[in-house]
Amino acid sequence: MTNRSAFDRVSPVVGRPPLVVVFVAVLIIALGELGGAVLSQLRPAAARWAAARVAANPGPHGLTGSAEYDETIRDQAVFATEAGLSFFHTHAEGTGLVLFFASTLVASVARRRVVRGTLYTLLTLGALFPLGYLVYSFAVLRFGRETGVEFAETWVLTPLGSAAILGLLGLAVSLARRGRR
Amino acid sequence: MDTWGDTWGDTWRLPPRAVLLAAVLLLVAAELGGASMSRYKLELARWARTGMLAHPDVHGLVGVRDVDERALDEALFRFDTGLRLFHMHAEGMALVVVATTTVAATLARTAVPRRTLIVLLTVGGVGYPLGYLIWSALIPSYGVERSKAIAEWLVWIPFGGATIVALLWLAALTAVRMVRR
Repeated sequence: MTNRSAFDRVSPVVGRPPLVVVFVAVLIIALGELGGAVLSQLRPAAARWAAARVAANPGPHGLTGSAEYDETIRDQAVFATEAGLSFFHTHAEGTGLVLFFASTLVASVARRRVVRGTLYTLLTLGALFPLGYLVYSFAVLRFGRETGVEFAETWVLTPLGSAAILGLLGLAVSLARRGRR
Repeated sequence: MDTWGDTWGDTWRLPPRAVLLAAVLLLVAAELGGASMSRYKLELARWARTGMLAHPDVHGLVGVRDVDERALDEALFRFDTGLRLFHMHAEGMALVVVATTTVAATLARTAVPRRTLIVLLTVGGVGYPLGYLIWSALIPSYGVERSKAIAEWLVWIPFGGATIVALLWLAALTAVRMVRR
């Protein structure tokens, strides 16, 4: 019998999550890297394309025909589009890693199959969160800045972000319960 | 069968120790970089400014204080940005190296592809962030754009390219394993 505390116990092995989860994690990291490279090489072309999309879609952007006002609106929309693409790059690198490490912990500590399945699902959905920033970029150009941002937040960023939070909370609960045994 | 929650008992294999050492050293460099940027901010800015004043042609300095100060401020801002990007990318890429080489070590069954993947992921991941450091270091002597082009061709494209190719290969390999199982 030992008197070691929960913090002294170590496991000899670290579990591996299902291949679907591993695939999504690697793919999201790869897309994040690719997005960064594309953004760095094609930034001027992307800004020109975004400005052209705003000009071709004057209604949702509230363009009035006044050159000075329209230019401000166009600049704001192009800035929001570029910010969305940049956020995609940074978040994809992060959430891919979060999925890898968090799902590895799930595979190592969650003993019940239903719990593991639920946590894998939530964490994998959460890792797709950066795709919301791609939607954000395109929605801003399609619907205008305010409506586009709201669309991406309501339909993509909030649901996927909530899945990530719930998955991580579930993992924390699993770890806490495991520690008490 | 490898579906949600059915992998209890499957474990990760550790990548070679040299890979883990490289990733940890990159993490250390990132932390040191962040700390140095904060601790030696003034000294670094002074060093860069002295270097820029020693190369007036490169920075378009004309001897008129108002014009020169604006050019110097812009170059100093880029110098600082390069250091910050090194700090951030080095932290992120070190974790990417640990995660992705673990996947490669576990899922790539034959030796040659496994070694190739691990080398590409490690060399690419560790080398890429150093490009930001090189960019910053070269700015005083070569100017913002020329040093960016040097860093791009010497570091970002070869090392970033290696990482992207390896990540896409790893994603494809994981997908094939997933389908075959």
